[in-house]
Amino acid sequence: MAQTYENTDEILAARRAYNDTLAQAHDARRATWFPLLIVALLMLVPALQFVGNYNYVIHLMLYTLMYVTMAAGWNILGGYTGYISLGHSVFFAVGGYFAGMIFARLGISTIIMAPVAGLVCAALGYLIGLITLRVRGPSFIISSLALVMIFRILFEKWQFIGGAAGLSLPINDLSVQWAKLPYYYAFLAMAVFGVWASYRVRHSKFGLGLRAISKDEVKAESAGIDTRRYKVLAFAMSAFLFGAAGAVWGEYLTYVRPNIFIHILYFSVWPALMCILGGKGTIAGPVVGAVLIVAFNEFFVATLGSSTIHILVTGMIMALTLMFFPLGLVGTLAKHRRLPRILNWD
Amino acid sequence: MSDLIQILILGLALGGVYALMGAGLSLVFGVMRIVNLAHPSLIMLGAYVAYWAFRLYGIDPLIILPVAMVILAATGVILYKLVFEREARSAKYSEMTVLLTFAFAMVFEGALATAFTNTQRVTSPAYATDAIFIADIFIPLGQLYAGIVSLVLIAGLALWLKYTRFGYAIRATTQNREAAELLGVNVNFVGLVSFAIGLALAGAAGALVSFVFSFYPSKHWEWIAILMSLVVLGGMGSILGTVVAAYTLSVVAAYVGFFFGATWSTLTFFVALFVVLLVRPQGLFGEKPELA
Repeated sequence: MAQTYENTDEILAARRAYNDTLAQAHDARRATWFPLLIVALLMLVPALQFVGNYNYVIHLMLYTLMYVTMAAGWNILGGYTGYISLGHSVFFAVGGYFAGMIFARLGISTIIMAPVAGLVCAALGYLIGLITLRVRGPSFIISSLALVMIFRILFEKWQFIGGAAGLSLPINDLSVQWAKLPYYYAFLAMAVFGVWASYRVRHSKFGLGLRAISKDEVKAESAGIDTRRYKVLAFAMSAFLFGAAGAVWGEYLTYVRPNIFIHILYFSVWPALMCILGGKGTIAGPVVGAVLIVAFNEFFVATLGSSTIHILVTGMIMALTLMFFPLGLVGTLAKHRRLPRILNWD
Repeated sequence: MSDLIQILILGLALGGVYALMGAGLSLVFGVMRIVNLAHPSLIMLGAYVAYWAFRLYGIDPLIILPVAMVILAATGVILYKLVFEREARSAKYSEMTVLLTFAFAMVFEGALATAFTNTQRVTSPAYATDAIFIADIFIPLGQLYAGIVSLVLIAGLALWLKYTRFGYAIRATTQNREAAELLGVNVNFVGLVSFAIGLALAGAAGALVSFVFSFYPSKHWEWIAILMSLVVLGGMGSILGTVVAAYTLSVVAAYVGFFFGATWSTLTFFVALFVVLLVRPQGLFGEKPELA
């Protein structure tokens, strides 16, 4: 039905109204209660300690939540913007070292310092992004790999922060039963923040700009998007989440060591793999991917236990996912309109 | 003074090996736009071929080198047929293949480490520990041979690309895939052949590496970063650029190692990479201002 409008304001108003109805229809379909329910359940998990020793369960949950934080962070850069980074373990390590040094010297808990460590990493990410984001595609991926190598050498050589031996951190004085709880809630908070942040980014003009960059950067730029600032900011945001996660992980492990924190497989490749397996650019994807990979890893180590086969199988999963489900689990299901309503968090 | 010449010579000899390692990578990228992160892990496979041939049958790595090339070329054909041929049609191709080859690098590393463990290995033919002296400068024979063989292979590749019909086809495909296809070049076959040749060079590099460096499966990470720096530095897809970058950086790295210590010498490659990204993102010999 054709309708005539007097001026551009009316057209814009009509378009906005139409968009609002679409958004409302989408909101009505969204099962917001489901993620909230999960968070509520996760908050209750430590209560298990009253009835027995579930430290292993809590450790596993905490570990998964840490990966959810990182995968959600990686998603902002790799999923929305399309810049694949295999060097984010650098920020994990920088966050770990920054908060670890402060904890060791001044005794301020890393949980309190995590946001600050995140900001430090964001600033570092901003600076690095200014250099590495000048190139796209393969060159960017290569520069991110080189970043890992540079920081690994620097950390191992810098005696002020312990060199190759790393830092030892004091153990907290809680009883064994409750020792994990502060870290558990810290990681839960971070994971919720990470997923919430990636949701907010996706539904903002900024996120729209990022997704435009991933579709076609030249066109995005000619449409008036300040692509350079956008992608550097996306880089900084993802670095923030990695830094915050690394900070608390250091205190939880009670040590920070270069070869563990800059581990390219565990802290660069895994978050990327989780995001890709779950579905790049979706909100639920990184969460699903993190749960799947951690569960698989735990099962695998428990049954076979060998770290070399482990690398082999991680590589195989990654290769098969990329070849047959490049959109990831959530992305593929959504494409075929088979995505369960509870997993549609977009 | 003789120290400085000494280091120059050692740097050049290593540069030859890096140049050979990088040349195959650059060829594959030029023709197929694949950044083959699995290349270093396949060099590792070549090194193991040479190692076991020497260890079990006492065959010299330089003699087994053609065999390693054939084995790797065959691996290349299989990989191409199974994976890259079908991937060539997808959008976001070059980014996807980086991740995909990264995954394969992990698969090969895991397979090699499972089969042969992460023990450090080195092939030790007599010349690997021998050296010749010119005045007071000593030249390790192993590195000298490796440098010479690399040069011969790279020169052979360059001549083949320059003077044969198939070489024309490869260069045409590198310059403009669509135009080459329009002119009747079978780009798929060209891709297959250059992938196989690229990996054959990896096999040759592996056989040479087996007596120049000690190696173990997870060492390929070090090579990935170094080789990738060379390729980006030289300009993606420019074989000449890669070779020049390899020689220059190896010499610089050798001097850095001499003056500041061995760990810093590896850093040379990565710092150079960042400087180039900052100053000249397309690399030394690259033409495109942006690498999509």
